[in-house]
Amino acid sequence: MGRTWTSMDDFEAFLDGGGIVEVDDDMPDAYRQAVFAFIEMHANSELMGGLTERDWIPRTPGLRHKMAVLAKTQDEIGHAHLLYMVGADMDIKTRREIIEDLFAGRSKFHNVFHYQAKTWGDQVAISFLVDAAALASQQAVFKNCSYGPYRRILKRIISEEGFHMRMGEERMLRIADGTEVQRTMFQQSLDDWWWPSLQLFGPDSKPGDVLLRWHIKSERNEVLRARWVQKFVPLLMSYGFSVPDPGLTHDPATDSWTSGPIDWEPLKRTMAMRGPDSARRIADAAANWADTHWVRRVLDNAPARAAGVAA
Amino acid sequence: MRRYEVFLKKDGRDEFRHAGSLDAPDDELALVLARESYARRAEGDRLWLVDREHVILGDPEFISPNADKPHRHNDGKAIAEHRRNVREGGS
Repeated sequence: MGRTWTSMDDFEAFLDGGGIVEVDDDMPDAYRQAVFAFIEMHANSELMGGLTERDWIPRTPGLRHKMAVLAKTQDEIGHAHLLYMVGADMDIKTRREIIEDLFAGRSKFHNVFHYQAKTWGDQVAISFLVDAAALASQQAVFKNCSYGPYRRILKRIISEEGFHMRMGEERMLRIADGTEVQRTMFQQSLDDWWWPSLQLFGPDSKPGDVLLRWHIKSERNEVLRARWVQKFVPLLMSYGFSVPDPGLTHDPATDSWTSGPIDWEPLKRTMAMRGPDSARRIADAAANWADTHWVRRVLDNAPARAAGVAA
Repeated sequence: MRRYEVFLKKDGRDEFRHAGSLDAPDDELALVLARESYARRAEGDRLWLVDREHVILGDPEFISPNADKPHRHNDGKAIAEHRRNVREGGS
């Protein structure tokens, strides 16, 4: 069932012509592996992000924001769930294998979830800077993604990430209007989170990047990163905050901001599971997975019910 | 566990659309998971859940030949050309 291609050239011509690959197509193995690895990392990041978000539910100030954080937690875990379904359908790992690999530290998730959110200011910086960076990356994939099931599920994910980002900006506005203590706290959070957020985009895309060639990503990492810098530097400055980049330059002729040299060592450490909070995060998630074993056992052993039961 | 496909429709304006899939041990829990996974913000007012094993797949080779039947369409070009000729004083 599905389509087949005679060679990689034939397949790439299909992709270059705007072709969309479906789950039952006989796609080249290298493409299947690359798309799966990309979806797996996205899914893992949603789950790890959702777990951080959950930790902040009791500590979120104010009922309105507490409820919004509750909703965001459900969204992020939900995104992980949708992505794990799409990933598992690619027949490389089952959903459970993907999750078990994550909790055993065998697979990747985004750098930003290897750091600890210590204050409410950190949470605000995350829901503003990090969510915007993640959203920009996802939009660039959604725009021209050749793998149909991923592209379609991204549409839903992106619309919900938009709510999170707006909520983050609203929180930042409140802090910007707040007391000196609050503003100092938020400046500290910006100092801590600016670089990890910027590094989320990754180093400059390599010339032969298959994710670009196979139309998974539609924009180069450095282009997305530069656009994010251009958006956030003037915005943060307009609220009287500073950006912790001594090499930051401004070109008055084009009114454009360019970041200084980027140290990629922190990103590499997170990808090797050696970030400041990697071990605690993974251990915490793994302990949670172990604690909920009984739920999976109950579901696995549930007797099949008659069809057509209305909720 | 069974794998279900989720379809949603909203407000009678659109057709049912495929939203995604989910795993559940039975139909009742599948309905709860479908609502919590795919309709948290009222994305639909009607839901179809289909056990994936019951989905009948059409082979693309069987479905796609119909892309090649222009006589089943009419792009209106001949009529437009005639009208333009009349407007411009031709025949």
